[in-house]
Amino acid sequence: MVSKPDITVKFCKLELENPFLLSSAPPTCTGEMIMRAFEEGWAGAVTKTIKPDKTPVYDLDNRFGIMGFEDKQMILFENIEEVTKRPVGTWVKEIKEVKKKFPDKILIGSLMAEPKEEDWEELARTISEAGVDMLELNLGCPHGMPERGMGAFCGQRPDLIDRLTRAAKRTSSVPVMVKLTPNVTDIALMAQSAEKAGADAISAINTVLGLIGINIDTFEPMPTVDGKSTFGGMSGPGVKPIGQRCVAQIAQATNIPVSGIGGVTTWRDAVEYLLVGANNVQVCTAVMWRGYRIVADMIDGLTNYLSDRGFSSVKDIAGKTLPKLTAWGKLNKDYEVVATINKDLCIKCGLCYVACRDGGYQAIKFEQGKAAEVDEEKCDACALCTLICPVPNCTTWKRVKK
Amino acid sequence: MSGRMHPKTVSSQDRIKGFEPYVSNLDERMALYEAARCLMCYDPPCKSACPTGINIPEFIYRIKTGNHYGSAKVIRESNVFGGECGYVCPVERLCESKCVRNNLNEEPVAISLLQRFAYEKEKPKGLVKFKCAPSNKKKVAIIGAGPASLSAAYELARMGYGVTVCDSNPRPGGLMIYGILPWKAAWSVAESEIDYIKSYGVKVVTKKKITDVKALLKDYDAVFIGTGTTESSRMGIPGEELPGVYLAQDFLFSVAKYLKGEGKAPNLKGKRVAVIGGGDTAIDAACTSVRLGADRVYVVYRRSLTEMPAVPYGKMQAKEEGVEFLLLTSPVRIKGDKKVTSLVCVKMELGAPDESGRRSVKPIKGSEFLLDVDAVIVAVGQRPEEDVLRSFGVKVDKGLIVVNDNFATSIKGVYAGGDAVNGGETVVEAVAEGKKAAAAIDKHLRGGK
Ligand SMILES: Cc1cc2nc3c(=O)[nH]c(=O)nc-3n(C[C@H](O)[C@H](O)[C@H](O)COP(=O)(O)OP(=O)(O)OC[C@H]3O[C@@H](n4cnc5c(N)ncnc54)[C@H](O)[C@@H]3O)c2cc1C
Ligand SMILES: Cc1cc2nc3c(=O)[nH]c(=O)nc-3n(C[C@H](O)[C@H](O)[C@H](O)COP(=O)(O)O)c2cc1C
Ligand code: SF4
Repeated sequence: MVSKPDITVKFCKLELENPFLLSSAPPTCTGEMIMRAFEEGWAGAVTKTIKPDKTPVYDLDNRFGIMGFEDKQMILFENIEEVTKRPVGTWVKEIKEVKKKFPDKILIGSLMAEPKEEDWEELARTISEAGVDMLELNLGCPHGMPERGMGAFCGQRPDLIDRLTRAAKRTSSVPVMVKLTPNVTDIALMAQSAEKAGADAISAINTVLGLIGINIDTFEPMPTVDGKSTFGGMSGPGVKPIGQRCVAQIAQATNIPVSGIGGVTTWRDAVEYLLVGANNVQVCTAVMWRGYRIVADMIDGLTNYLSDRGFSSVKDIAGKTLPKLTAWGKLNKDYEVVATINKDLCIKCGLCYVACRDGGYQAIKFEQGKAAEVDEEKCDACALCTLICPVPNCTTWKRVKK
Repeated sequence: MSGRMHPKTVSSQDRIKGFEPYVSNLDERMALYEAARCLMCYDPPCKSACPTGINIPEFIYRIKTGNHYGSAKVIRESNVFGGECGYVCPVERLCESKCVRNNLNEEPVAISLLQRFAYEKEKPKGLVKFKCAPSNKKKVAIIGAGPASLSAAYELARMGYGVTVCDSNPRPGGLMIYGILPWKAAWSVAESEIDYIKSYGVKVVTKKKITDVKALLKDYDAVFIGTGTTESSRMGIPGEELPGVYLAQDFLFSVAKYLKGEGKAPNLKGKRVAVIGGGDTAIDAACTSVRLGADRVYVVYRRSLTEMPAVPYGKMQAKEEGVEFLLLTSPVRIKGDKKVTSLVCVKMELGAPDESGRRSVKPIKGSEFLLDVDAVIVAVGQRPEEDVLRSFGVKVDKGLIVVNDNFATSIKGVYAGGDAVNGGETVVEAVAEGKKAAAAIDKHLRGGK
């Protein structure tokens, strides 16, 4: 019989029915959309970023691009979209509607304004009083907004993080979370600034600055807006390692909860984020690609994962990997292994051979039609062969004495 | 992106030495690749083509994310025989025929192979259990223990009814256990799902033939009839009573019993066998004859290969195993003294299509010829047992039980579904009908109409 673990989490005193939230982005552009998402099982949502009515915002046509493999298997998504154009008043009305219909779901209002404390105070007061459960300060958007002193412009300056967080905290009637950009040298420092300023939580990451591709026939960068482009924000599966690194660094450096964002597509990604210290995860690109419906498997997959391993609650895996993350200098230099290739599983493709020959230590012997073999004397255990081998469990490690 | 995965199959020379399954299952790597081929369509046509409405993209997506148990749960939520159906469904004319990959000029996603994969992952952990309503003290009797009946029994048990199923056979399962031979699906698959159904409190009584429905209605609040088509049709040609002539369903039944150690199989070693008919049963009887050691096996069918109703996969299997197709050929009479010695056949020609689109056939004068055979297997259709339906007292039309949209028969409180109603379809159709009938029975007993 299979037990049913508890997947609820506590986040700044809020009760989340599961750790899956929608991040501030197109899937949360209107109250109607958010309500449909709630019906499919999302525990909460962060509204698309709301800005003061006086701040102009523009929508560019053709503002997305992707990098992927054949058959539209998307790896990275890029956008050069700004925040929502919808007036504050509209949001206030829709926030009320959503909370009335879904009092137990968590609604978070995302905010952005110019780096003027009065503007942040005003916006934080209005949106918190509209009835959201929490605020998220968007100090991370890396395109468009920073050119006008907003988004990542603020998130890259500890002094601004400090001042704007304090401003929002002064007027907000609900907890305040600060959303950070990964486009900085030391995200831990930024998180500490927010914590010191009184932030109740951190969310990370916003998108990663990139240039998704160039059309080599027209020389136009992508996504192309009438022949030209700009550096954009990358998201989706490919940014997960960056998001995970940031979340781990923040979790190590602060004592406030972290909402993990960046490339979460399946329950497995979520588990990884939880293991490195995220309290919950937020999702955008995966939903843009396949719809709100993916949350059904996220919930069920996480539940089965926990139950298979005998955990009674998702809280039992929180941060479990953090103690295993250490400085390079503390890793065991006496740990010695060599690669071994299973003769019976080897399909004789020679991929490990050519990789090791030209990118490694010339430690693999290979002849067409014969299984590849490791020369243990030469093997430096770099791992290239194991990564390249197309056969599961064919190349493994053997412990050796130094 | 890779094309469709084709797992290893045992060569035809080797597989005909036994009755075991001959198509391997997808391994983890192949399952992942194949799952990645599913586009996760919105309002997917594959799902609409499944009589039980399994949420196909969702179960495939869960294989892709590694949530195997969750995948199995999606299947079982809609189809209590999801494992068995993964093996026996004619997917070429159901879900896979509608997969949108066909529109890209590619092979469809291998839905049934992925369904088997999910089942094989589910089995060691125990089939996914669902919540049941508390007992409502009402009782339902079910006649026959094929997939239609067992599916109805399962649904009703989950709704809180006390359910008793009676079958005349020594084991429950109907044709899943006594008709479909194990090269398609190991019997253990259906058996595990039958045990699962019993675990919901369904009582199964075997070796008990029921003929009186009215008597049952005295002790039970409702009755479901899922008695299938237990009688084979005959051709009505001279010589059909000779020893050496078998009716397909009886033939397969005896082989199934033999394989279970419950009796002897017809001795076809070194013999020449003519199977008459063009449906899946004819193909199964032909492939069974090959496995029993027959020297030559013919399938005699009156139309051409394109009109043949058997699924293409089955025809291909039979061809690979050496079965010879005598098309546009119709039997006239069976010759023999004390036993079959030959079959007189006539060549046929195709005429114009009738209103159903099927082309008519007529014999070519003077084209009669003699086919030397030692056995004839008649596979020209099955039907319910006439006497039994008569004793049930339900309204019958063209030999089948008549039901309305709610699977209600002409007797109040008596419902029916599966082959006995549809004339012989598939396991998955029987499961779907059992499920719908159960919902109607529930509504009826709650005082709806
Ligand atoms: C050779 C063969 C191969 C087939 N292959 C496939 C396949 O590959 N895929 C597929 O989907 N379908 C296949 N089918 C069809 C499929 O088996 C049937 O459509 C399905 O089993 C019908 O289910 P059912 O519950 O209506 O009836 P059955 O499975 O026929 O069950 C009826 C049960 O009722 C019992 N019964 C009958 N009368 C009484 C009575 N008076 N009292 C008590 N019990 C009674 C019978 O003993 C039997 O157990 C095949 C059929 C045959 C004959
Ligand atoms: C089209 C698009 C628009 C976005 N708009 C916002 C926004 O208005 N505010 C914000 O805080 N983040 C915005 N984001 C960033 C996402 O919320 C998220 O941080 C990022 O995409 C990484 O998560 P993902 O990999 O799950 O998409 C946007 C992302 C995309 C793709
Ligand atoms: S139609 Fe094909 S591709 Fe689309 S959901 Fe069904 S199996 Fe997947």
